[in-house]
Amino acid sequence: MFFHKKLSHTITLHPSFLGPRMREYVTKRLYKDVEGTCTGRYGYIVAVVAILDIQTGKIIPGQGSAEFEVKYSAILFKPFRNEVIDAVVETVNPMGFFANAGPLRIFVSLTLVPADMKLDLDSNPPSLRSDDQKIEKGTLVRVKLSGTRVDATSIYGIGTIKEDYLGVIE
Amino acid sequence: MPLPVTGGDGDTIWTMRMPKNKLVRPVTEESLDAARLELGVDFQDAECLLISEVKVLLEAQYDSKKEEKNLDEVYTKTLEYVQKFSRYTNRDTIKEVRALLKPTELEPFECAQLGNLCCSEYEEAKSLVPSIGSRISDEDLDSLLKQMDSLKKYQG
Repeated sequence: MFFHKKLSHTITLHPSFLGPRMREYVTKRLYKDVEGTCTGRYGYIVAVVAILDIQTGKIIPGQGSAEFEVKYSAILFKPFRNEVIDAVVETVNPMGFFANAGPLRIFVSLTLVPADMKLDLDSNPPSLRSDDQKIEKGTLVRVKLSGTRVDATSIYGIGTIKEDYLGVIE
Repeated sequence: MPLPVTGGDGDTIWTMRMPKNKLVRPVTEESLDAARLELGVDFQDAECLLISEVKVLLEAQYDSKKEEKNLDEVYTKTLEYVQKFSRYTNRDTIKEVRALLKPTELEPFECAQLGNLCCSEYEEAKSLVPSIGSRISDEDLDSLLKQMDSLKKYQG
């Protein structure tokens, strides 16, 4: 789910930047530090929408660098357990298939795919087939997330398509 | 500190009174659940965006990002995703969808899910967004979905 949230970040500027274009450096540093990052708490910070406030900088005693607390609003992408999300299939392998929903990678195990879909590894590309549906690279699927896992730089999802109204999207 | 407790037959049994556990269990990822609308402290009251709204916002930034060669992987993947799955093509339609969803009793998360998934009937909506429950009647939900569907069909 995409959220629009107000966040706060502290930027430390080396004394050489404390001059006429200081605010510009602070905003550039904010974009560089924060956009594209991923945390367990906020999910993916996709893009900064607006800078709301840059507080007066505080010089760190003994160092000369200045600390600025910047308040900004951003688009966040965070997946939740039991959320239904649309995704694009990337690969099909003997264990199941991988699908991408933006920056989120979702794995759907074969055990969580309806029983009437059979694995066909000989086709090019490998696919899952049933009488009326086919899942292969590029297919759009509706997946329900049964869990998420966060590591240092990304979030992974585990999904299912075994319930009503899930699976291939026409 | 041991306290004396008198047993039934007159004997005194010594027992310990355990201190009350004042430690509050921190909220872990496992306790967050969209089906029960438990999004955690940070997102419980946060504004949820429709995929189409995200598309408008990201496209507005595309030119300046491209010029500064600041296109990171997360941004490009998300832009591709929202362009593929966006249901509403222009800002007016998005405004009208939001106007349809606002007067209902639905939570922001549920409104955004309905706007993104575009269900055709109320059973599908209630199955995919189970937290809706009985917060809105079947007829109202059905009429809402039909209005959203016609907005999508007849948008410019």
